[in-house]
Amino acid sequence: MKKFLAVFTILVVLCTAAFGAEETKIKSIDQLKTEKLAAQRGTIGQFLAEDLLGDKKGELLTTYEKYVDAVMALRQKKIKAIVMDEMPAKRFLNQVEGLAIMDEPLSVENYAIGFRKGNTELVEQVNKALAEIKADGTLAKIFEKYLTGDYTGVDPKTIDFNKGAKGGKLVVGTEAGFAPYELKVGSGFIGIDVEMCAAIAKKLDRELVIENMNFDALPMAVSTNKVDMICAGITVTEERKENMDFSEDYVVGAKQVILINAEDYEK
Amino acid sequence: MKSKKGLGRGDTVLGIFALFLLYLLWSSGFFTAAAWSDFNRRFYQNFIKDNRYMMLVDGLKATIFMTSGATLIGVIVGLILSVIRVAYNGGAKIPVLNKFADAYITVLRGTPAMVQLLIWNFTIFASARDLNTQYIAILAFGLNSGAYVAEIFRGGIEAIDPGQMEAARSLGLSYSTSMKLVVLPQALRNVIPMLFNEFIALLKETSIAGYIGIDDLTRAGQNIQALTLEHSQPLVMVAIIYLVIVMLLSYLVRKLEQYLSRSKRR
Repeated sequence: MKKFLAVFTILVVLCTAAFGAEETKIKSIDQLKTEKLAAQRGTIGQFLAEDLLGDKKGELLTTYEKYVDAVMALRQKKIKAIVMDEMPAKRFLNQVEGLAIMDEPLSVENYAIGFRKGNTELVEQVNKALAEIKADGTLAKIFEKYLTGDYTGVDPKTIDFNKGAKGGKLVVGTEAGFAPYELKVGSGFIGIDVEMCAAIAKKLDRELVIENMNFDALPMAVSTNKVDMICAGITVTEERKENMDFSEDYVVGAKQVILINAEDYEK
Repeated sequence: MKSKKGLGRGDTVLGIFALFLLYLLWSSGFFTAAAWSDFNRRFYQNFIKDNRYMMLVDGLKATIFMTSGATLIGVIVGLILSVIRVAYNGGAKIPVLNKFADAYITVLRGTPAMVQLLIWNFTIFASARDLNTQYIAILAFGLNSGAYVAEIFRGGIEAIDPGQMEAARSLGLSYSTSMKLVVLPQALRNVIPMLFNEFIALLKETSIAGYIGIDDLTRAGQNIQALTLEHSQPLVMVAIIYLVIVMLLSYLVRKLEQYLSRSKRR
């Protein structure tokens, strides 16, 4: 009988500890410097969070492989806030109850396609194709398709991967958990990046092949030539430029925002 | 001594724990009609809508394909390595091969499977672009498993009474023939349970294949998560599928053990 009592007491103590934590409201980004933060591993969000936390990043920053995991941790209050791109953050805001995005963005970034350092030929070809699809309105149409309405119903079969093209394969690495840029639906892929790469592949007369990997494995994949280029909403930074070549930007002004529990946030 | 009648202490503790979990679920409103319909809605969204369960089926196919391929390589590599090592202690001393087997087992058991997988894919097969990644995973998992299987086999062979080998040799059989016909068949019977444990571990280990871009069962669950932004259901479903397969394998191995030990019962 003593044992049951012991087990029960421990459980009760654990529960009070878990549910009785004190709450502080967050008003500005400065306050987050001493809070537990999370980001997706290898993303710009991680670097921004590291900068914000400074010396304390070791104990306060948690990095997750997938955004879904980070948001779950946020809802369970294991962390205080997540640094992430605005678009996926908005999607979580719409689908998961009790979240908020802080008004003040942490930074504003541009997205580009990444290449192996020194692969100048392909960079030039892709830049030319990118300029063409920007000019003829193809890119704008793709953005419009995904930024309005429910795109999870888009059929991957409607995207033309230019099968059997003469120019060979164009292997593109991505991380298909970053809607609306890339998402796996059934056995195929959809998203802004995917459709844009399909359009580029068409211009280059090559067949598009998508390799879906973890985000932090992408730089490795492109530098070892496993994939020709990586397109996963990748932010251009000076540090990344040292190890990778980038195309022209295809998204300008993508915000990095703070996703937080609504109850912790005071505007 | 455990009493066979009634409930033991362990059962009571488990029972209290289960009651406590039920209380937690009940207090969080899990058993209300609203929660049930919410569960159904999410279930529909995660698995039924747009045939999303097919993502899990495809993932399962990849997992089973990789596990069976790796198992095959693992058994072959393990058998060869174990025979080399046992032979070195027995009749046929080939120092070069033994050194190699030793080094192989040390390296492959001494580094994480995850790191090996990344090295195979991004370093050794860096330029193999048209090769299906699943074959690389099979090779990586198979060679890794081979190191463990080798030790399992060696244990099994060394557990056979030396008298068996001596008797076979005294009848004029060569070392390799006695190994093949007398020792190995007996050893195999002893190692079957451990071998299956290794493959069950292997099945679960393939869940890291997502790292090199294979949509295995685990990754399929994560892909559904990314689609629906729902956390628990896809993961729990993936866990249930793994569990069912492992239970099925365990059942088969019990049957196989009974079959193999039929000659032992007289």
